[in-house]
Amino acid sequence: MATVAEQWVLVEMVQALYEAPAYHLILEGILILWIIRLLFSKTYKLQERSDLTLKEKEELIEEWQPEPLVPPVSKDHPALNYNIVSGPPSHNIVVNGKECINFASFNFLGLLDNPRLKAAALASLKKYGVGTCGPRGFYGTFDVHLDLEDRLAKFMKTEEAIIYSYGFATIASAIPAYSKRGDIVFVDKAACFAIQKGLQASRSDIKVFNHNDMDDLERLLKEQEIEDQKNPRKARVTRRFIIVEGLYMNTGTVCPLPELVKLKYKYKARIFLEESLSFGVLGEHGRGVTEHFGISIDDIDLISANMENSLASIGGFCCGRSFVIDHQRLSGQGYCFSASLPPLLAAAAIEALNIMEENPGIFAVLKEKCKRIHKALQGIPGLKVVGESISPALHLQLEETTGCRERDVKLLQEIVTQCMDRGIALTQARYLEKEEKYLPPPRVMEIYRCIGEPRAQVEEPLRGSLGKTQKSTWSQSTMQTWSTRLGSGRLFWQ
Amino acid sequence: MNVGVAHSEVNPNTRVMNSRGMWLTYALGVGLLHIVLLSIPFFSVPVAWTLTNVIHNLGMYVFLHAVKGTPFETPDQGKARLLTHWEQLDYGVQFTSSRKFFTISPIILFLKEQKSQMIHWLLPRKIPVYQLLHENLIQ
Repeated sequence: MATVAEQWVLVEMVQALYEAPAYHLILEGILILWIIRLLFSKTYKLQERSDLTLKEKEELIEEWQPEPLVPPVSKDHPALNYNIVSGPPSHNIVVNGKECINFASFNFLGLLDNPRLKAAALASLKKYGVGTCGPRGFYGTFDVHLDLEDRLAKFMKTEEAIIYSYGFATIASAIPAYSKRGDIVFVDKAACFAIQKGLQASRSDIKVFNHNDMDDLERLLKEQEIEDQKNPRKARVTRRFIIVEGLYMNTGTVCPLPELVKLKYKYKARIFLEESLSFGVLGEHGRGVTEHFGISIDDIDLISANMENSLASIGGFCCGRSFVIDHQRLSGQGYCFSASLPPLLAAAAIEALNIMEENPGIFAVLKEKCKRIHKALQGIPGLKVVGESISPALHLQLEETTGCRERDVKLLQEIVTQCMDRGIALTQARYLEKEEKYLPPPRVMEIYRCIGEPRAQVEEPLRGSLGKTQKSTWSQSTMQTWSTRLGSGRLFWQ
Repeated sequence: MNVGVAHSEVNPNTRVMNSRGMWLTYALGVGLLHIVLLSIPFFSVPVAWTLTNVIHNLGMYVFLHAVKGTPFETPDQGKARLLTHWEQLDYGVQFTSSRKFFTISPIILFLKEQKSQMIHWLLPRKIPVYQLLHENLIQ
């Protein structure tokens, strides 16, 4: 019976075939042929079509001349000639065996040589050893790290903070954690190199606005708004960020934060504030540029700073809302994939925070000193001061350049050497010339510190040392002026 | 995204259709859908087949060709954010075995649906057994 049933079905099917309309059969035939074609089609990658013949490939290989792995570099490249510092770089720094006044360390609050910090670090060293030997997720989290995060969050009055073990990597990891391909970032032209690297890693669309120019930023934001209206679906999934620094390293100016917050709410972008130079400097209690302008910290989405300046430690931190900061615990590359901060440095940072909280008066002293020195440096012939009066890090730039960057750099290097001979340690601001997006002109960097002790008279010799800038060789008269100025000026710290 | 897993695949979406048992799961899933539809008393067999086909095609369209990106964050800064799952399969390599399988399966489903229609279409004109035998003898 089974076979008869099968035959019955088979015959029915054959009957159906005869009675089916022609188009139907043709369609099914095509489909079956297509299946066979698909089964036998070859796998190929989309981009791998190279239209070069074998001969052309050989020719190209013949023509190619390899570049040297290490490009030739001149003998007097600054990276090859170190200035060796012996001893701790506090108020005075011993460079190449010569003791100078230190104008080249980012030691804004003078905490580098502080005995309390040293004691805290030593106690931590005795307790934990030197390093942590592990990233945060892999047995590298110690109680000092959690303590420091807690203290920083409380100090900045945010919900949470996260610690990185290297200051440069802080902002360079924070930006790509939030901003991905297709997102739009509006960044200031004078952004520091760490921000530039973070932007490069994020693969987002970068829109650069002129330094501290809110009209330019508004223009860019408006253009973006118009683009968004053309494609609202895409706009809904695009994130927009504005990245600024509190106190710019490259220009010594403060960002106009109130206008930025207004623009943020108007155009629905998120602000990332990089406060490396302004943390522990600006504001009544040292909380940075938000306190300086009186803006609520909840208006800023992410604050990132490094602890290598005011806190005299190493590493960096980001602080903000828990919702924002927690994301970095899995997505911050510098957090997940680098060993955590050595506990002795974390303990030193906690002690530095203690000092900052106990004497909020030091910020006013620092501000006053900055203003004084800024005023005193005005009017040096040939050099102009780049930076605001409240900025502890200023640049001295040649008023008129010689036209060639190398000659400028050489001239400034002579100035620095002369100052060093007279006992003042300055440094040239160094840039990776080929890597910077908007290379600043060559300048000499000066950094002031809050002494916390009776005032120092340094303006005279400083002016004297710097007053010798000339475009050509130095004249006799100027050399005489220097020596008189040096002789008349008294130099004492503390 | 690759937290807690042992592989370092940048975008797991590309390999999910190649993973062990995925094709069988897919076939069983379609079969389950068909059985569920068959068990609804209102639908005859061809209608159930048609509905299987339609629902399968709609589902595959939405999941493979309409939804873009990944449901998780990938470490390549969102390279696949604007790509559909179909475009992400095997990192864009064309005509891999997964792609062939998923191209052929709707065709086969369509053919099966047509076959069910044909039989149903003939049912009112079902030939009694003796007439069938008679025709066989004639041939």
